[in-house]
Amino acid sequence: MGVVHGDLMTLNIGPQHPSTHGVLRLKVKTDGEIISEVEPIIGYLHRCFEKHCENVSYEQVIPYTDRCDYIAAMNNNFGYAVTVEELMEIKVPERVEYIRVIVAELNRIASHLLALGAYGLDVGAFTPFLYMFRDRERILDLFETLCGARLLYNYIWVGGVSHDLPPGFIDAVYSFLDYFEPKIEEYNELLTYNKIFIERTGDVGVMPPEVAVSYGVTGPNLRGSGVKWDIRKDEPYSIYDKFDFNIPVGAGKMGTVGDCWDRYFVRMVEMKESVKITRQALKGIPAGDVHQTLPKKIRPPQGSIYKRTESPRGDLAYYIVSDGSPIPYRLKMRSPAFTALSVLGEISQGWMMSDVLVILGSLDIVLGEIDR
Amino acid sequence: MTVDQLINWLPFGTDWPVITFLTAVIICALPVFLFIAVYALVAIYGEVKISSFMADKVGPMGQGVGLHAGKWGLLQPVADALKLILKEDIIPSAADKKLFVMAPFVVFIGAFISFAALPFSQNTIIADMNIGIFYILAVGSLSVIGIILAGWSSNNKWSLYGGMRSVAQIVSYEIPAGLSIISIIMLTGTLSMQGINEFQQGTIWGILPNWIIFNNPFSFIAFFIFFISGVAECNRTPFDIPEAESELVAGAFTEYSGMRYAFFFLSEYAEMFVVSGVSVTAFLGGWNSPISGFFNSPGWGVFWFMGKTLSLVFVMIWFRWTFPRLRVDQLMSICWKVFLPFSLLNIFGVGIWILIAG
Amino acid sequence: MSEDQDKFIADVVEKALQGDMDAINNIEDRVTRSKAKAALVKAKREAKAAATEDTSKSEESKTEESAPVEKSLSEKVAACLNEKFPNSLESEDVNGHIQMKDKNWFEIAQYLRDNLDFLFDSLQCVTGYDFGENEDLEVRYNLHSMTHNHAIEIRIKTDRNNPKVPSVEQVWRIGDWFERETYDMYGIEFEGHSNMTRILCPEDWAGWPLRKDYETQESYHGIVVQKVKDGWE
Repeated sequence: MGVVHGDLMTLNIGPQHPSTHGVLRLKVKTDGEIISEVEPIIGYLHRCFEKHCENVSYEQVIPYTDRCDYIAAMNNNFGYAVTVEELMEIKVPERVEYIRVIVAELNRIASHLLALGAYGLDVGAFTPFLYMFRDRERILDLFETLCGARLLYNYIWVGGVSHDLPPGFIDAVYSFLDYFEPKIEEYNELLTYNKIFIERTGDVGVMPPEVAVSYGVTGPNLRGSGVKWDIRKDEPYSIYDKFDFNIPVGAGKMGTVGDCWDRYFVRMVEMKESVKITRQALKGIPAGDVHQTLPKKIRPPQGSIYKRTESPRGDLAYYIVSDGSPIPYRLKMRSPAFTALSVLGEISQGWMMSDVLVILGSLDIVLGEIDR
Repeated sequence: MTVDQLINWLPFGTDWPVITFLTAVIICALPVFLFIAVYALVAIYGEVKISSFMADKVGPMGQGVGLHAGKWGLLQPVADALKLILKEDIIPSAADKKLFVMAPFVVFIGAFISFAALPFSQNTIIADMNIGIFYILAVGSLSVIGIILAGWSSNNKWSLYGGMRSVAQIVSYEIPAGLSIISIIMLTGTLSMQGINEFQQGTIWGILPNWIIFNNPFSFIAFFIFFISGVAECNRTPFDIPEAESELVAGAFTEYSGMRYAFFFLSEYAEMFVVSGVSVTAFLGGWNSPISGFFNSPGWGVFWFMGKTLSLVFVMIWFRWTFPRLRVDQLMSICWKVFLPFSLLNIFGVGIWILIAG
Repeated sequence: MSEDQDKFIADVVEKALQGDMDAINNIEDRVTRSKAKAALVKAKREAKAAATEDTSKSEESKTEESAPVEKSLSEKVAACLNEKFPNSLESEDVNGHIQMKDKNWFEIAQYLRDNLDFLFDSLQCVTGYDFGENEDLEVRYNLHSMTHNHAIEIRIKTDRNNPKVPSVEQVWRIGDWFERETYDMYGIEFEGHSNMTRILCPEDWAGWPLRKDYETQESYHGIVVQKVKDGWE
C-alpha cells in the first residue's frame, strides 16, 4: 500500500444488489480503485431465531432451523437433531442414519451448485449459472417426492425422519447420480479452467491459514487455504466414519494457496466426493423403522451440549442448554457463514473494487444464516 | 455509389447542388435507418433465442406468428420495442438537460453514419469513397463523445466512473484495430471498400478463395486482433465491465430510461454490425462468394455479405454467453501489452511478406 | 531457501526442547513461527512417546493399586491455570467446563492460545447466557485446538447490572464479531473491544433482546411494535 493516501472515498454497496447472497451492506473505503477497508454491515435479515427457540418446544424448533440456512436446510435439521439426540443420549435406527446421510449429501451438492453458479454469475459468466441450476432442479425434484417441499424441508426430526423413502426413490437417486457425474466435467470445461475465470479469481483474495483459523473460518473456505479439516472425518458424527471419501484441499494450482480459485475448486471436488458418499449409502441402506420411539414431549435431561456438524458452508454447531423442560432454555446456533463474512475485511484489502464481489462470492455466504 | 446515382437522377440536377445533395442523402439515410431498426429487432431476438439454446433455457415463447401458440416468440422484440417507446421519459432533475438529451443521439450517429461506407454488394453502397475504411474508423470514434456526455450529464458518481472506464476501453482498443487494418491495406493498396473487395476476387491455388485472411499468416492474426478489438469497442462481454458491473448499475447509462435507453441499445447493435461488416470486408472477402466463379452476381453479393456479417454477429453473441468478464486493468493490459505489439508486428510482417513474395 | 528454513526451524526447536522458548517467540515471520511451533509439538510428542514406553511398565503397577481416574482435559487445563494464574478460577469443580473469574481473562486467553500443550487456536463459539430475572449473566466460550483436536468450555459470570468482561478480540480475531453479537443480545460490555456496537439489531434499538426480562419497546421510529402475547398463544 502506498505511503501517500488521497482522500479515502466511502462507497456503499447497498443492501439490495444483484447477487444471490442476500441483504448485505458493504461499506467500502477506497483510494481511487484500490480498497483500503471493507466493513460488512449485517442484521437486515435478523428474525430472532434464538429468542423463538426459547419459547417453542424441541420438535417445533426444527422448521425454524430450516429457515436459517435456507439453501442447505437438510444439513441444518441434521445438525440440530444430532445435537438434541446426543443431549438425550438416544440412538436412532440404522435406516434413519443412512437416509439422513443421503439427503444431507444431496443437499450439499445442491448447495454447492448454487454457490458455484452464483459465483460464475458474479464474474460475468451467465451460462454455467443456468446449467448448474438445471441440475439443482433435479435434486429439488427428488426432495419434493421425498417430503413435499423444495427448499425448506422439516424432514429430519429428533429421533428419526418425518417420512420414509417413497417407492422408487432409490432408483431415482441412482439415475440422478449417473446423470450428474459427467456434468461436473462439463462445468470444469466451461468455467473452472477458463483462462478469463482463472485471471479473475486466481491469486485474488488470498487467505493464509493462520488468518483463517484465527477468524474461525471453516469448511471449504478453510480447506481452500490448505488446512485439511473436515468434521465428517475429524470428529465424525452419525455414520460418516463408515464411508470412504477424500477431503479436497486447496493447493494453489492456479495461483497462491488460499485464493478464490482454490475455494471454488474445493467445492467442485467436494461435489464429486458427495456423489461417492451417496452411492455408498444407497448401497448399504438397511430396512427398518424411521422413527425412534420417543415420548410425546421431548424432555432432555438438564445440561448443556455443544455439537459440531459439517454443513456445506462449514462448521455448523448448536449450543443447547436444557433445564429439563420441553422447551430449550438457551439455543445458540453457531453459523459458519458468520465467521466467513468476518474475514472479508481482512482479505480484500489492497484489491480493486471489482474484486470485492469476486472475493465475497468465493466465501459463499447466506445471510439467513448470518443474521438468523 | 447510390448517393451519386441519386444525384444524377434527381430532376433539379446541377442547379441547386446543395439541396440536391441533401435530398439524396436523406433519401439514402432513411432506408439505412429502417434497416438498422429491423436488424436490431432481429439481433435482439437472435440474442435471446440463441442464448436460450446455449444456456439450456426456454427463451421467449408464445406470441408466435399465430398468437399464443408456437415456441418461437417472434413478436417478443416487437413487444420490447413498444414497451420502451411507451415508457415514461425520466430526466433527473440535477442532470444537465441539454447534454442528457443529446448524448444518445451522438452515440447513435457514430454507429449510423458508418453504414454509409459498408459495401453490401458490387453496386449497393451508399457512398463509395476512396477513403472508405479510413472513414469508418474515424467516424466510429464519435460514439465515444456521446458516452462521455451521458456519463457526465447524469450527475451521478457511478455513471461518471462507468463512462470514463468505457471511454478508456474504446479509445484503447481503437489502436490495435486501426493498426490491423493498416496491415491489410498494404496488401490491397487502396482504402476504398469496393477496392478492397475487388482485391479479394479470385482464388489462391485454385481452391481457396482469395480472401485476405488466407493471404499470409500475418493477416490471419490481424483478423483475430481486429475482431476482438471490435468486440471490445462494442462493450460486449468479455469486455463489458463498464456496462454490466460498474458498481452494479448500468454504467454510463444508469439514468436513462425508455426510448433514450433504447437508442443506446440500438447503437450497440448497430456498432456490432459495423464492426462485423468491416471485418468481413477487410478479411473475409466482403461480397465475394467463397466458391469463386459461382454465385457471383450482385444479388448474390448482398447474400454473401449479409451472411458473413450475421455469422460474425452470431459469434459475438456466442462470446457473451460463454465467457466471464475481464476486470478493467486486465482488459487494458491485454490491449496495450498484447494486442498493440502484435499488431505492430503484423504491419512489419506483412511488409516483409510483400517484399519477399512480391 | 526451504532447506535453510528447515535447518533454522530444527535449531530453534532444539533450543526450545531444552527450555528456551524465546528463540521461537522472537521469530518475526508468523508463517515460520507457526511452523516452528508445530515442529516443536511434534518433537515433544515423539519424546513423550519414547519416554512413556519406559515408564508405562512402572506406571501399570501403580495404577493397579490406586486406580486414579484419568484426568479430563478440562481438569488438566484447570490445574494448569491454577498454577500459572492463581486465584483466577471461580471454582475448582470441573463439570466439563471451567468456571472462571473475569479478572485475567485476556492473559489467560493468550496463554491458552500459545501454550504448546493446549494450543487453543480457534474460538468456536461465544454464547451469552441469562440465569433468570435478577440473576447473573454469563459468557461461555467454546475453544478448540486444530493441532491437538481437543476442546474445552470456559464460563465467566458477570453481574447483571454492570456486566463487563475483558475482550479477547486481539487473541482470536473472530472475537470481534462474536462479542459484538453477545453485546447486542445481552448488553454485556467487553472491555478493550475496538468497536463495541450492535451488530444484528439497528444501532438505536433499546433493550437487550435475549435477556429473560426483555420487553419489546413500544415503537421504533414511529412504527408501532406489535405486542407479543405472553405464552405464545
